[in-house]
Amino acid sequence: MSRKLIIDPVSKIEGHGKVVVMMDDNNQVTDAKLHVVEFRGFEKFIQGHPYWEAPMLLQRICGICFVSHHLCGAKALDDMVGVGYSTGTPMLPTPEKVRRLAHYAQQLQSHVTAYFYCIVPDMLFGMDAAPQQRNVVGLVEADPELVKRVVALRKWGQEGIKSVLGKRMHGINSIPGGVNQNLSQEARDRLVNGEDGLISLDQVIDYAQDGLKVFKDFHDKNRAEVDAFAEVPALNMCLVDEKGNVDYYHGKMRIIDKDKNIIEELDYHDYLDYFSEATEEWSYMKFPFLKAHGREAGSVRVGPLARVNVTKSYDDSCPLAKAALEEFHDYTKGKANDMTLHTNWARAIEILHSAEQMKVLLNDPDLQKEDLILTPVDNAWTGEGVGVVEAPRGTLLHHYRANKEGNITFANLVVATTQNNTVMNRTVRSVADSYLGGKEQAEITEGLMNAIEVGIRAYDPCLSCATHAMGQMPLVVKVLGADGKMIDEKYRCAS
Amino acid sequence: MSQETVTEIFSHELPATQWDPKKKAIEEAKIQVAMIGFCGCWGCHLSFLDMDENILGLLEKVTITRSSFTDLKRIPHHCTIGFIEGGIANDENIEVLEHYRENCDILISVGACAVWGGTPAMRNVVPLEECLREAYVDSVTAVSGAKKTIPYHEDIPKITNKVLPCHEVVKMDYFIPGCPPDGQAIYKVLDDLVNGREVDLPTEMNRYD
Amino acid sequence: MTVKITIDGQEVNARAGDNIVDVAAQNGVYIPTLCYTRGKPCLGTCRTCSVKVNGSVMAACTIPVREGMEIDVNGDEITDMRKALVELLFAEGNHNCPSCEKSGRCELQATGYEVKMMVSRFPYRFTPHPVDHASRSIWLERDRCIFCQRCVDFVRDKETNQKIFSINGRGTYARIEIDVELANKMPADQVREAAELCPVGCIIDKTQGYDVPIGKRKFEVKSIRERALGGGHR
Repeated sequence: MSRKLIIDPVSKIEGHGKVVVMMDDNNQVTDAKLHVVEFRGFEKFIQGHPYWEAPMLLQRICGICFVSHHLCGAKALDDMVGVGYSTGTPMLPTPEKVRRLAHYAQQLQSHVTAYFYCIVPDMLFGMDAAPQQRNVVGLVEADPELVKRVVALRKWGQEGIKSVLGKRMHGINSIPGGVNQNLSQEARDRLVNGEDGLISLDQVIDYAQDGLKVFKDFHDKNRAEVDAFAEVPALNMCLVDEKGNVDYYHGKMRIIDKDKNIIEELDYHDYLDYFSEATEEWSYMKFPFLKAHGREAGSVRVGPLARVNVTKSYDDSCPLAKAALEEFHDYTKGKANDMTLHTNWARAIEILHSAEQMKVLLNDPDLQKEDLILTPVDNAWTGEGVGVVEAPRGTLLHHYRANKEGNITFANLVVATTQNNTVMNRTVRSVADSYLGGKEQAEITEGLMNAIEVGIRAYDPCLSCATHAMGQMPLVVKVLGADGKMIDEKYRCAS
Repeated sequence: MSQETVTEIFSHELPATQWDPKKKAIEEAKIQVAMIGFCGCWGCHLSFLDMDENILGLLEKVTITRSSFTDLKRIPHHCTIGFIEGGIANDENIEVLEHYRENCDILISVGACAVWGGTPAMRNVVPLEECLREAYVDSVTAVSGAKKTIPYHEDIPKITNKVLPCHEVVKMDYFIPGCPPDGQAIYKVLDDLVNGREVDLPTEMNRYD
Repeated sequence: MTVKITIDGQEVNARAGDNIVDVAAQNGVYIPTLCYTRGKPCLGTCRTCSVKVNGSVMAACTIPVREGMEIDVNGDEITDMRKALVELLFAEGNHNCPSCEKSGRCELQATGYEVKMMVSRFPYRFTPHPVDHASRSIWLERDRCIFCQRCVDFVRDKETNQKIFSINGRGTYARIEIDVELANKMPADQVREAAELCPVGCIIDKTQGYDVPIGKRKFEVKSIRERALGGGHR
């Protein structure tokens, strides 16, 4: 009798997903999929709103990488008003650095949150530990000192964001052409010296190495299993600077293959010439791919693993991260690394990289300068803009058009988790085959099923981001109110 | 493959490693909190973490059962507090929210989306048919020449026409507005509840943006 | 002429003819208002300043004080009534504070905090309201209009004194309109004043947006209550 094994919901991730594994009478996996089960819809309802609201509205797509959405929107608006990269205008140093500071602070807190609260419990306790233990409560019990450091590091990152965006989450800093405030001297001193309930910058650099230590320890003890776990092929993509190093805020989109050959490199303003997105009936999340390479071969991986694969090196101003990156590169002898769980290694390196990049910026006096906005000249308005940044989960793109009156007429978003859709599904299939394939039902445990989730968590998927697009047609669904009265009857639209 | 021969098995119903009975006893003696995010951005859950070091003190008194921070897929037993993020946007959200209502003494709407629908509720003024066209028929990145597909499958839920505030589906006991509410506002409400005080969010901590 | 009245049982002296909102403020008692603004004629449209005068509910901005008046501002019933009025406004419009440019400077939002609104007790309606963005420098976001009529009465063409804003239709069909031709003649400072005068984010100055950082915005620096009680320009 065939079986349908269901993980519902996938937990310790952001957003709503479900995994269904189909197994036949011979205990072989016939199908394994990650279904994204939520839908929100930003691209349509943003239309008709004033263009300057886009970075404020669209950052509400995500509670963990809102700075990335905010900056992506801001870069698109820079283009639109005529002072963006599409017009060949370089950004003023202070606003660019303020934006970068917020972005690195976000990467720090986002990676720290995902890594320690969602991923480390599986490493520390084991994938098949008691499900009640594999979480932050278990972590507090097992290693309270580590959790205290994590809390302090995360707090510092969040306060870094607040110091320029005004709020820890969903704040406002970028406006078309620049920013609305710089980093004040007091805020800078607080972050550097660790005043008023914060750790100091030196402590940040120290604590930011905890992730690497945890990974190394775990890797040393479980090398064979970690390396063999879902080694899935994919192209790798990220933004790079002129030197070929990852740039989280701006650069060209570079795509490399297994041998690190550059197979495509593009100005992101041309993305429509390169990318298509396929849709499947079984998921609200689309499947982007490189048109020239076809859907299977042209699917890319984005995020920490892709970035450390693509980047040639890091800047000398980040020596600790640079050394960690070299060790990572040596492990696969110059080839791109396809080992899913090494994404966590890459994430730990990036925690340190963000901290070191912030250190550089916090010592840069440009952040306290007053030249905050580039005002467009008359008739500079282009009415269209594309912004791309490296969000914690990978390459994020916003594209808008607006009319002369300032009304948004079009928006398209391609988010990191969506880019990873195909490779995540490959991972789910790979783990299902190796952990469940050939097993009688009696042998399958909750712990084995959790292995699939461990594979998904490595991508730190943000299914909230991934479901910004409008999706499903409604069927008849009756909604009864708290008082039992029907408050909304849903109907199926004609197609 | 004929439908009738397929057996559905949920991962959380499979045999699992047993929890250390001593740890189980310690956690079960605490106040039980279940959490869930519906149609939102997870920001209110992260704002929960934004209570910073207060979380360590709080976790001495409460434990988290079902939540996106744990691997418990269902509420394991009756809970005192249900922490609800997000508005209601599909049939599954409705079922799960009703399940939380049945299994929690107190439900809190946390954040703008749970309180009134929030930013996702901006789709409430747009007819769905136009939305579908935008996303799948007229999408600029649609595969040229391919059949236009609109997701529709037994394994994904059906979307409601409007995003609803939680209290329009079940009774909610407390509301913490904000997008998201500050971590300290969430802490204040939980701390009041845990210590048996009347919940009082001071005006200066109340915010809608 | 001085008259004696009581506010919440406290006897106070007031100048006859001053309205209840002003007299209460002079005596340290805050009454929220959304259409009334000190120094300008009373409009009486929003009713947010409702109090009980000798037992009857009245809009405080519309009532001049008279000898012997007993005014109930902070009794439980009238306090909840004012809160309900604010909640109605939130349920009727589409007030997405999270993305609104007026957030932190919005009188409706600030008043929501003062009346301790956490949620509206009325069902949120989500009625579509088409925006009007035809004018060169003003964006009219009808989702947020509360029909206070401040703009209708107080924003006029400098040359002809003609009204620039008007309300068209009645009841559910009422909507704020803008005369694009006259609006395009408005000098930049008048546009800014109109946007500032609007208690919500309905009249938006297209040339400015989100320029004040969070934490430094009008009502974050000084609350609407403090501004109302402090006298001078609110």
